[in-house]
Order: sequence, then C-alpha cells, then structure tokens
Amino acid sequence: MRPPRIPLTGADCFLRAFDAEIARWNGASHVSQLVLRLGPGFDVAIFRKLMDAVARAQPMLRARVARAWGIGAPVYQIGSAESRPAPRFAVHDVEQAPREGDVLAAVFQRRLNEKRSLRRGEMLRIDAVRYAAGAAGTDLALSWMHPLFDGAGSERFVSWLDECHRGVRRPDELPDPGELGPSAAPLRTLRERGDAARRWQRWLAGFGAHPVHSPGGARRRVPQALSADLLTLDPARTERAVANAGRRSGFLTPMLFYLAVAIRAHHAVYRARGADPGSYLVPLPVNLRPRGTEGAIFRTHVSLIWFQVLPERADDFDALVADLKGQRLAAIKARHIENGVDAMHFSRLLPSRWYARMARRYQRGELCSFFFAYTGEFAPDLERFCGAEVRNAFHVAPVPPSPGSCLAFSQRGGRLNATHVHQAGVFSESERALMRDTLRADLLDEG
Amino acid sequence: MATPTREDLVQRVFRILRDEILTVDAGFTPRSNLVKAGLDSLAVTQLMLSIEEQTGVWVDESLLTPEHLATAESLGALVHAQLTAS
Repeated sequence: MRPPRIPLTGADCFLRAFDAEIARWNGASHVSQLVLRLGPGFDVAIFRKLMDAVARAQPMLRARVARAWGIGAPVYQIGSAESRPAPRFAVHDVEQAPREGDVLAAVFQRRLNEKRSLRRGEMLRIDAVRYAAGAAGTDLALSWMHPLFDGAGSERFVSWLDECHRGVRRPDELPDPGELGPSAAPLRTLRERGDAARRWQRWLAGFGAHPVHSPGGARRRVPQALSADLLTLDPARTERAVANAGRRSGFLTPMLFYLAVAIRAHHAVYRARGADPGSYLVPLPVNLRPRGTEGAIFRTHVSLIWFQVLPERADDFDALVADLKGQRLAAIKARHIENGVDAMHFSRLLPSRWYARMARRYQRGELCSFFFAYTGEFAPDLERFCGAEVRNAFHVAPVPPSPGSCLAFSQRGGRLNATHVHQAGVFSESERALMRDTLRADLLDEG
Repeated sequence: MATPTREDLVQRVFRILRDEILTVDAGFTPRSNLVKAGLDSLAVTQLMLSIEEQTGVWVDESLLTPEHLATAESLGALVHAQLTAS
C-alpha cells in the first residue's frame, strides 16, 4: 500500500528554495534537463505507451508538492496524485540533423526557461526532436523539477525506463534505494545534530570574508533566459583529458581537476574584463546514496562541499588543484558533508526563503560564483534506449540568473562533455569563445 | 605501542568498511571487490581518516592506485607498508 504522503528530503527543500527565488525574481523555474542523443530506431509509440504505464505506477511523477495542511515539512501528496495529469510528452519534427556541438533544440531551450508549478505537480515534461522523421536520429530531453530527481537519479530513471521497456523490470518495481536516513550518522542525538547544523552555518558565514562577484551579479529582477554551449571531446582527446586529470589530481578525485578547469575558465573571462571576482566560491554536489545498493531514483540525495579560492591562486593550475584537495580533505574531516545534511533537514520546517537568505546573507546578495557539477560516466549500463543506440548523453544543469553561469562535466561512451549554461547577456560571444578555448587548453594540457 | 601486524590492519580496514562506510551483506569478506561494493572517493577519504585516527598514520590518497583499492586485503597491506615505513 502506498503512503499518502512522502516527505521531501532536506536537499529537496534546499533546491525548492532556488525554484521559489527564480519564480519570484525571474519569472521562471528551476528546471534541469537530461538529454539523450539517440540514433535511428527510437519508437515514439512504444515510448508513449511505456510512459503512460510508468506514470500510472509511479505517482511521484505527478504528485503535488506542498506542506500538509499548510504547515510542517513539505511532502509529495501521493494520495491525490492519481487525479493529476501524467507528464506531457511531445514530438517535434525537424529536417536538419544537429551538428556536433549543437546542444539545445529550440524547444529544449524553451523548456529550460518555462514557469512550472510544484504545487500543481508539474514535475516532468518530455520532448523528442526527430531529425528526418527519426532516420537521422532523435534528441530526447527530460525536463524535470529538482525535487523529483537529482542528476544521478535522472540517469537511474532513464536506465530504469529502458529496463521496463525490455521487460527486465515492471513499472511498479523500483531499484533498491537502500536505507536513506536524514543524516549520514543517524544515531546522533537531536542536540548533536543541531550543533552540526550550526557548525555548517558558521562554515558558510566564514566565506563572507572574501565576498564573491558572480558573472551574473547580485540578485536582480530579470526574465530568466538560459541557453547552453556544449563542448564534446572525441575519444582520443577524452583519453588525454582523463590522463591529465589523473596526473594533476589523482585518479580518485578527478572532480577536483574539472573544478579547477571550471574556475580557470571563469578566471580567464574576469582577467579579460579586468574585473575582480572577489573570490571563487563554488558548491560541489556530493552523492549520498547508500553505497553498495542500486540507489534511489526519486528525490534529491546530495550534500555539498563548498570551495573558496582567491583569484591569484587560479593562475597556477597545480597550486589551485592542491588548494582544492586540501579544502576537500578539511571539509570531510570537519564532517561538513554530514553537517550540511543536518542543516538542510532541520530547515525543511522553515519557509523556502530562509535557505536563500542564509546563503546570500554572507555574500552580499550573491549565492556563489558559479554552479558546478561533475557526474562521471553517464548511465554506463545504458547502451540503447527504447530500441535506439545512445550516441551521446549529458545534463543541462539549471542556474539562477545570479550567478548566471554553470559548468557541468560528464562522460559518455568515451567522450567528455562540458555543458556551459549561461544567462542571456552575462557573457559576450567573445567571452564564451574564450571560456571554450581555456577549457579545451586546460583539459588537454595545451596551455 | 607495538606496530600492528599486516593481518591486524587488514581486519581493521575490513571492519571499518563493513560497519561504518559500505552497505554490505553477510557475504562481504576482506577479499570482496570494493568497487562492486560501492567504494567511491569519499568512502576512501573517510576510511583514511579512520585509519589515521586509529594508527596515527595518514596514507596520502595520491599514492593509491586501483590495485590498492581492489579489496580490504590490498588496502590493509598498503596501510601496513606505510606504517612500517614511517
């Protein structure tokens, strides 16, 4: 029997606060995208039938998110989900096949900037863009609201959809999520967890000693207009980049190499502008799914490690990586990953604005310098999707107009993808080209 | 304090992984594949911090290779080598 309500995780609420901010200041929503670039053979009719069955079996895909009776922590209202419309799926036919490096069909870009409502359960929309009636391939975008999945969950979702398509699982049979607790150390007392949350808050407050000036500037009332650039390296260049990551940051922590690359790409733009970034303050999402389990699909299961780097440190690649390594170790040692879970969990009871207020309070109106993600190999078990070869796949992560810039890295089939999502007007054409060139040079050690 | 033996360190690494870091079933042994058991970079750092707490020896993560991370046994052997070298 289904529970009538499923609570949001603390991280869900953290991200819900971004959605509330964007809705209030920028007239849009916090929508993430997962894009599958498929070869010929994707069967629209079969996919539609599959999604109908999945939407019937999984009410979270259309459940409203609201506080029960207007108070307490927000929940998915599962009990009333069956009367809600299923996620919409639309097919768009285009004659011209996309070129390498083209990232977003126009309709995908529109979805990224749409206004959605969590209160109405508008969790997911799916669009397929068929090239030459599918003969030249299909791009499929899942545009989802963050409490529904996180990045890893969205990859698990498409893998699971394909398992349902192949009859390996039933639509009502989800992978084992493992034991998901509110904290990585669930046996601590309430008081200890309260202390942990305060330590996390003090940690964030400490970053205020070097306030950031993000590319988008402090919070402002502009219509959200995000678009994305995609840099894809071929297998030979990807191999070079991966080897470079191993050499510079060790094979265990490639994310620090990619974070350094992302900082330096932004640093190049600031230098060209003659502008002062203040410092580079960047949150790194950390996956908290229990290890050794298949892992949860739905809801957000992450904490954050925050990194702060002074601009002069970004000039020297190896010194920058060493600095990031030291900060990562210190944050893990201080248990800030767990402290963040506790802080986010407690704050579910507070209004959404509390989160953003806390983040901005220490940074004079800014959230951070830019968003960053490194998600490793994209759905490595997913070779084909609903009958079509998966040629490439990547995330288009959302970013509020302030900070206005997000760089996300992942690999698929031996190719590295770097997706740069940016708010209109934040970067000029020449600055985007400079970022692309700096990224490529650092990834391939061609500087 | 006497230096722990190699077997002692293998058992310590095994117990930390089994009881504190990984979600494993009863079949998990010092020779089980750690990557299949969900070992990731955060788990390795947490393990190294626990080892440091217990032995006072910090194993630099940049020394680790995929071979070291194959099993609790190979990881314990590396910690033992570091401890005897320090």
